[in-house]
Amino acid sequence: MTATVIDGKAFAARVRAQVAEHVARIKADNGITPGLAVVLVGEDPASKVYVKNKHASTIEVGMESFEHRLSADTSEGDLLALIDRLNADPSVHGILVQLPLPKHLDSELVINRIDPAKDVDGFHISNVGLLGTGQKSMVPCTPLGCLMMLRDHHGSLAGMNAVVVGRSNIVGKPMAQLLLGDSCTVTIAHSRTKDLAAVCRGADILVAAVGRPEMITGDMVKPGATVIDVGINRIERDGKTKLVGDVDYASAAAVAGAITPVPGGVGPMTIACLLANTLTACCRANGLVEPKGLTA
Amino acid sequence: MTATVIDGKAIAARMVAEVAAEAMELAASGWAPRLVSISVGDVAAAELYVRNQRRQAEAAGVDFEARNYPESISLEQLTGVLAGLNADPRVNGIIIQRPLPAHIPVKALQKAVHPLKDVEGMHPSSIGNIVYNDLALGPCTAVAAVEILKSLPLRVEGLDVCVIGHSEIVGKPIAFLMMGLGATVTVCHHMTRQVAVHSRAADAVFVAVGKPGLVTGNMLKPGAALIDIGINRVDGRTVGDADYDSCAQVAGWITPVPGGVGPVTVAVLLKNAVLATRMQKDHYSAAFQAAG
Repeated sequence: MTATVIDGKAFAARVRAQVAEHVARIKADNGITPGLAVVLVGEDPASKVYVKNKHASTIEVGMESFEHRLSADTSEGDLLALIDRLNADPSVHGILVQLPLPKHLDSELVINRIDPAKDVDGFHISNVGLLGTGQKSMVPCTPLGCLMMLRDHHGSLAGMNAVVVGRSNIVGKPMAQLLLGDSCTVTIAHSRTKDLAAVCRGADILVAAVGRPEMITGDMVKPGATVIDVGINRIERDGKTKLVGDVDYASAAAVAGAITPVPGGVGPMTIACLLANTLTACCRANGLVEPKGLTA
Repeated sequence: MTATVIDGKAIAARMVAEVAAEAMELAASGWAPRLVSISVGDVAAAELYVRNQRRQAEAAGVDFEARNYPESISLEQLTGVLAGLNADPRVNGIIIQRPLPAHIPVKALQKAVHPLKDVEGMHPSSIGNIVYNDLALGPCTAVAAVEILKSLPLRVEGLDVCVIGHSEIVGKPIAFLMMGLGATVTVCHHMTRQVAVHSRAADAVFVAVGKPGLVTGNMLKPGAALIDIGINRVDGRTVGDADYDSCAQVAGWITPVPGGVGPVTVAVLLKNAVLATRMQKDHYSAAFQAAG
C-alpha cells in the first residue's frame, strides 16, 4: 500500500483563496478591511523571515498589515503600552507578537496582555481555557491547520481513534482538544509513555508533534491510518542540510493510508490559518457572519 | 481478587485538617478566608448541598455566607452583584450554585467571577492554567478524583489512564491534570467505538458520564484503579457509573458511591478557598509594595 500524499501547499492555497474571497466581500458589503498587527522585538533572523512572510501573505489576501518593529532593548512597559494601543485600535482585528521575545521580556505577561478576541495565535490563557471547555475561542494556527486537513480528507472524524504524540502547549494539547471536539477517541502520548509503538499502532489518525527527527517509523503506524507530521527538523545527511519531519516518511508512507510530507504538509497551513483567524476575529468584532470551515 | 475500597471520607478529613490549619494562619494575619455562595430562585435541590458546604466550611474555619436571589433577577443584575463581590477584599471566594434559571447562562456568570476568587475553578483562565500544567485553582470534582488517585501506591508517571466522559468540568480537566502528571491518557466518550478496548488496557479508569452500570468488571484490567465520579439515583439509592459488585471483583482499588469522590470534592473546594485567600493576600501585598 502506498499512502495518498496530503498536499498542504495546495490546500493552504485554497484556504487563502477562500479567505481572500470573504475579505473582498466584507470590504464591499460592509466597508470593513480586516487588519493584522505583527509585533517583532529585536533582530532574530528567523523571526524576521517569518514576519516578512506573514506581512506578504496578509497583503495578498487583501487585509491590512501593520508591522511594529521594536529594538531588542525595548522595555516591558513600552511593549505593553503598544499592545494596549493595538487592543484599543478598531482597525486592528488580530495581534501577533512574534516569539521568542528577548530574554528580559516576560512572554507570558505580554501574550496575556493581548485582548483575547484579537489573540489570533490562540495563546492567551483565556483562549486556552475556552478551547478546553469547548467554547468559542481563537484556536492556535498549527493544530487548526491539521484539523482542517483531516476534515478535508475524511469528512467526519467522529469515532476515530486519534493519537497525538507530544504534549506541547502550542500543538499537542490544543490538537487533542480539537480532535475531542470532533468526537475522536483521543490518546495523548509523550516521552513518559511506556509502549509508544503499541499506542501509535492503535491510531486511525496519528499526529506527530515531538520535534525529534524521523522518530515515528512505519512499524508504529496502523495500516491505512492517516499520518499528520507537524515536526520540522533540520538534519545533516550525506553532507547536506535536509528538512525532515517527526515521521520517517519512507517507511510510514508504505503503511499509511494518507500522509503529510515535510516540507509541504502542515507548514504552509500555519500562515493560512493565521489569516483565517484574523478574518474570524474581524467578523466576530463586527457582528458579521463568520465564514464557514475556517475555524474549529 | 477483591478491590481495596478507597475511603473518600478519610482522605477528605485529612485535607480538611490541613485547610483548617492554613485558615487559622491566614486569619491570624488578618485574612480569615470567606466564601460567598450564590443561588437563584427556589433551590430546594441545591439547598442540601449548600448546607453541607456551609457545615464543612465552618468546621474548617472558613466563613460561609449563603445568598439567595429571586428568580426574577436579571443577568445584568447578577453580574453586578459579582462585580461587587470581586471588588470586596473581605470576600475571598465565590460559588455559583446550580441549577440556575434558564435566563441565566452559567458560563456567563463563571466568566464574571474574578480569576483570583474562582474557588470552583471554572473561569476560562483557570481551565487554561490547567491545560498549561500550572495548577492553581482547579475544578473541584476533577481535582478531587485526581487527588484520590494520587493517594494510591501507584507511580503516576507513565501510567496508562482511561477517562470515560469528556465533559468540560470533569472529564477533560482530569485528562489534562493526569497528563500533566506524566500519565498516558485516553479520553473516551459516547462516540467511542469500543470503550472496553481502551478501559481494559488502562491501569486507572476514571468514569464520569452519569449512566449507572456503564462500567462492568469485564471492562477492567485486573488490579486497575477505578475512580467512579458518577452520582445517579436508582430506586431511591445513590449509585455511581460503575457496576460496583462486578468491578470490585476485578479492580485493585475502587471508590464507593457515596463516600468516594463526593466528600473529597467539598474538601477541594475548601482547599481552593484558602489557596485563593493566600493568592489574594500576596496580590495585595505586591500591589502595595509597588505603590511604595
